Amino acid sequence: MKDWGKIIVASVFEVGWVIGLKHAESAMEWLGTAAAIWVSFYLMIVASRTLPVGTAYAVFVGLGAAGTVIAEIILFSVAVNPAKLILITVLLTGVIGLKFVTDEGGENEWHGSH
Amino acid sequence: MAWLSLIAAGLFETAGVLSINRLNRERNAKSLLLLVGAFGASFILLAYAMEFFPMSTAYAIWTGIGASGGALAGMWIYGESKDWRRILFILMILGAAVGLKLVE
Repeated sequence: MKDWGKIIVASVFEVGWVIGLKHAESAMEWLGTAAAIWVSFYLMIVASRTLPVGTAYAVFVGLGAAGTVIAEIILFSVAVNPAKLILITVLLTGVIGLKFVTDEGGENEWHGSH
Repeated sequence: MAWLSLIAAGLFETAGVLSINRLNRERNAKSLLLLVGAFGASFILLAYAMEFFPMSTAYAIWTGIGASGGALAGMWIYGESKDWRRILFILMILGAAVGLKLVE
């Protein structure tokens, strides 16, 4: 799995633990929430070995926020607010833009000493 | 104390993002401990702040400070790209993420 794919999967797990923190009741649900926190951070950190950390973390946080709103609309029938849809569009535009500027110009690549 | 704990939570999150940078360079127990300690302190302070603020407001401010602080610190300390397009896209993502928490 490539680095951007890892961040996307990390964000899916992030949505899982955000929902878990809000709704978990049984020990099993809390255990699942803790596991989701671990998996999401692990994948985001592994992705940041090849992507700038600031980029990886912003995308992780952003997709998590958008995913949580979408999950609430689908799973918990929260009302669709036009402002939310506009913000999600801006957010996804930012993610796609960031992917392009990170993949293209070589100077955007990781500069660290190895 | 409410604001202080929330701002401190955001600053510890920034420290956590910085310690990811450190962990990627120096993969040892000390780096991992710093990472877990920074995010741990951040979550505890955030949970405390949530007693005083609505959850979504607390989360929005925490994310805003932590992720933008992490991005800025990455540019200044770890030499991540300062390309204006990168900064613009990060601002779009974080601005929208904070907005989503606030309209919730």
